[in-house]
Amino acid sequence: MTRKALDQTLGFLRSLDRTASVDDVARLLVTELAAFGVAHAMAGTVPGKGTPARQQQSHILVNTFPSEWGRRYLTRGYAFHDPTVRHLSETKVPFAWSDLRSRIGDDSEARRVMDEAGEFRLRDGVTIPLMTLEGGTAGFSLSGEHLAIDPDDRPMLHLIATYAFGHLLRLRGEGSLPRTIRLAPREREALQWAAEGKTDWEIGEVMGISTHGVDFHLRSARTKLGTTNRTQAVAVALRRGLIL
Amino acid sequence: MIQIVTPANAQRFRDEMEQVWRLRHAVFVEEKRWTDLARPDGREIDQFDTPHAIHFLALEAGRVIGYSRLLPTTRPHLLSDVLPQLCEGELPRGHDTWEWTRQAVARSHRGRGKAINPVSLALLSGIVEWGLASGVRRLVLQMPTLYLLHVVQLHFRAHPLGLPQAISGEDIIATTAEFDERTLARLRRLTGRSGSVLAPDYPYLAA
Repeated sequence: MTRKALDQTLGFLRSLDRTASVDDVARLLVTELAAFGVAHAMAGTVPGKGTPARQQQSHILVNTFPSEWGRRYLTRGYAFHDPTVRHLSETKVPFAWSDLRSRIGDDSEARRVMDEAGEFRLRDGVTIPLMTLEGGTAGFSLSGEHLAIDPDDRPMLHLIATYAFGHLLRLRGEGSLPRTIRLAPREREALQWAAEGKTDWEIGEVMGISTHGVDFHLRSARTKLGTTNRTQAVAVALRRGLIL
Repeated sequence: MIQIVTPANAQRFRDEMEQVWRLRHAVFVEEKRWTDLARPDGREIDQFDTPHAIHFLALEAGRVIGYSRLLPTTRPHLLSDVLPQLCEGELPRGHDTWEWTRQAVARSHRGRGKAINPVSLALLSGIVEWGLASGVRRLVLQMPTLYLLHVVQLHFRAHPLGLPQAISGEDIIATTAEFDERTLARLRRLTGRSGSVLAPDYPYLAA
């Protein structure tokens, strides 16, 4: 039984390798998972609270939702009320939307998102939580009118979603995915002093830490910013408004 | 800087290896609660710490701030002896295939966010550099499924050996992870280093 699920997963991965566009990946997912009742796929990183609709759009890697639902979802900021999105930061394992119904309680906004999704034949779904290398919370949702997904199927879906997400990131070009970068206070402080032209030793003096400590914070900031050296880190941090 | 320790140079790194056993105990026993590994002397050493293991130490001013261990798959290792249920087909074995275990970073050097930390990236760079120079081209990994995306994003070709399974409360998957020059280039772009992370005198794998 699990051997069959593994073979199916490996078959999916081979097909995934041959896809060359986001549409190919979307088609493959819906075809491959049709037996589970999956009709739509949506995946992306979770936007920070208050992200404008246009920027939210760029967090999405794939989305086959009916376009009217997609538009409504973005313009009304449903990502910030959607209980499946909220649950992403609380779990590491795939969950069914139906598991969340009882947890919504009297949150009317959350209930509205789920009910309206149902009107678009997205009544049922499974969401797979993911975490990017950059530390961003991400999710992969598979949905339809009625899903026939057994809890035992979830490990396979976890693998399929992970590989599909990685492949979609590559198709897009890793660098262009907008990320919510959060610098720790000491990383920001060290980088701010670096922007003022101070040396590691001088920064250590003003921050009251060792030169090694300064190097550590700056290195960590560089990693988060995806930059290769100090100059580029300062430039990117300025551009993104992370330092002044 | 990443220092490789094998029997060829272990004499010179006795103090650092002492720190390794204690870091491993702190991370795996005290923090992750892998209580089977607990030792009264606070030094986490298991049956795989034989002369065949290769130790990768992240050093900062003489202090061990991170660690990884590679085990040859031609001998007993974790996947073959401890977690065989994670591999549904034949075990991946060979001189070009090493198992990566006991990845640990000192709490002081983890940073606060969820992003992968620079010490882990440096250790992985060291492993890939060593592999490329030693005719090794793939790793065997056992990890929480959540980290599989990281491996894929780092340009490893990860091949699942089985489906994820719940092991002591965590969802664990075993994969092989093939690497090449592109993997190293990707790691270097992320760490912001252009040169080697390895200490200059590291011992190459003989054979």
